[in-house]
Amino acid sequence: MEDAQLAAMLVRRCVAGDAAAWEELVQRYNRRIYNICYRFAGSADDAQDLTQEVFIKMYRTLKSYDLERGAFMTWVTTITRNLLVDHFRKTKQDRMTDSLDTAPSEQEDAMPLSDRIPDHGPSPDAHSQSREVGETVQRALQKLSPDLREAVILRDLNDLDYREIATVLKVPEGTVKSRINRGRAELARLLQRTYKQVM
Amino acid sequence: MAAEHHNGMQCNEFDALLSDALDQVLSGPKAQAFQAHAKTCAVCGPLLAEAEAGKRWLEQLVEVEPPVHLVHNILAATTGIDTARLHAPATAQTQASWFDRLRNWASLVVSPVFAVVKQPRFAMSFGMAFFSLSISLSLTGVKLSDVRHADLRPSAIRRSYYETTGKVVKYYENIRFVYEIESRVREFKRATTPAEPAPEKKDNHQRNDNTSGQPDDKQQRNYSRGDSQVILAALPDNPPVVRFASETQATLRRML
Repeated sequence: MEDAQLAAMLVRRCVAGDAAAWEELVQRYNRRIYNICYRFAGSADDAQDLTQEVFIKMYRTLKSYDLERGAFMTWVTTITRNLLVDHFRKTKQDRMTDSLDTAPSEQEDAMPLSDRIPDHGPSPDAHSQSREVGETVQRALQKLSPDLREAVILRDLNDLDYREIATVLKVPEGTVKSRINRGRAELARLLQRTYKQVM
Repeated sequence: MAAEHHNGMQCNEFDALLSDALDQVLSGPKAQAFQAHAKTCAVCGPLLAEAEAGKRWLEQLVEVEPPVHLVHNILAATTGIDTARLHAPATAQTQASWFDRLRNWASLVVSPVFAVVKQPRFAMSFGMAFFSLSISLSLTGVKLSDVRHADLRPSAIRRSYYETTGKVVKYYENIRFVYEIESRVREFKRATTPAEPAPEKKDNHQRNDNTSGQPDDKQQRNYSRGDSQVILAALPDNPPVVRFASETQATLRRML
């Protein structure tokens, strides 16, 4: 059975009051939602809380899901993204997040953005697949502006297509592609100073 | 981005095709024009390189494992169902017997309690409580072996109750009988003893002259009896012999 059909069937059973169907939905989607939350928030604790919030909201609004309007995963990702935006506003991360879109301050002129990412590890050739690399990339990801970060996460980490991302972010596909390209380039620039040998 | 024209492609057109090029879905004349523009444009060439590098970096990010209890917490927060079976692997859930399920449930209930009990402060408290109880039982003469051998059947308990009640009543009756005997004997002594003459009052002046250091006669007497009390009867040094009738003698023997 196709994933979308299976999800639709599970949703129908959930709406009918089948607790086992809801449990299966949670089992199937908790991993993906947790990863989106973790990559965006950058904290395991925040990601766990946000994932729970996503499922609570999903549980309450499951009746409003319309199969004709889009895939279930797109609907779930939209809920996740909205909660992430709310979380972002609450935690005021936008004040701490630097982006290429914003003009650098006087203090930042003296120290480029890429220099503020610490280089803890040895050469990347030896540990390209190590956990340290992952943590460094994750830290660089946190430095991206929210618009670029969410577009990159949805595309490169969750394998959503451009149309689905456009639906989730409520922007045209061209804007989605532009944000993804700018996000990737920004990330590369941030990591360039750290791993010159690889670049 | 400046709308420069290089090799038949503008920079904004290059930007629109960049994602498709990185996804390797660009082909034909468009792909050739795209590559040619990237080689000649000072802005789009580095952008392509950086975007490719960023994509490679992101590919190195592996999927993170969610916390173990995430599903359990979600289900508890939404449906309120605290499903213990979620802690076990999904394959084992269907094959687990009732005994395994009972054991899992017991481990879930007992483990947190036992983890608390294993703390040193609780172990010390339990040790002190056991020590105090042992001392209390030893001092009160209670032996656990007696308790172990005790017959706790309802009929035996009922019989023990009646036996104990009987002993108490018998003890009470015996005490009552002894008091009655003592009372009768006292009455008999009073009845058989003639009245003792009242002692003469000594002169206060004479008593005050006694400087021998020996106690007064008054001090040698019973302190509970004062001078003002009247002596109803007293036993003389040679009491008269009283002879009873044969019936009275038999009654006295029975009472004693």
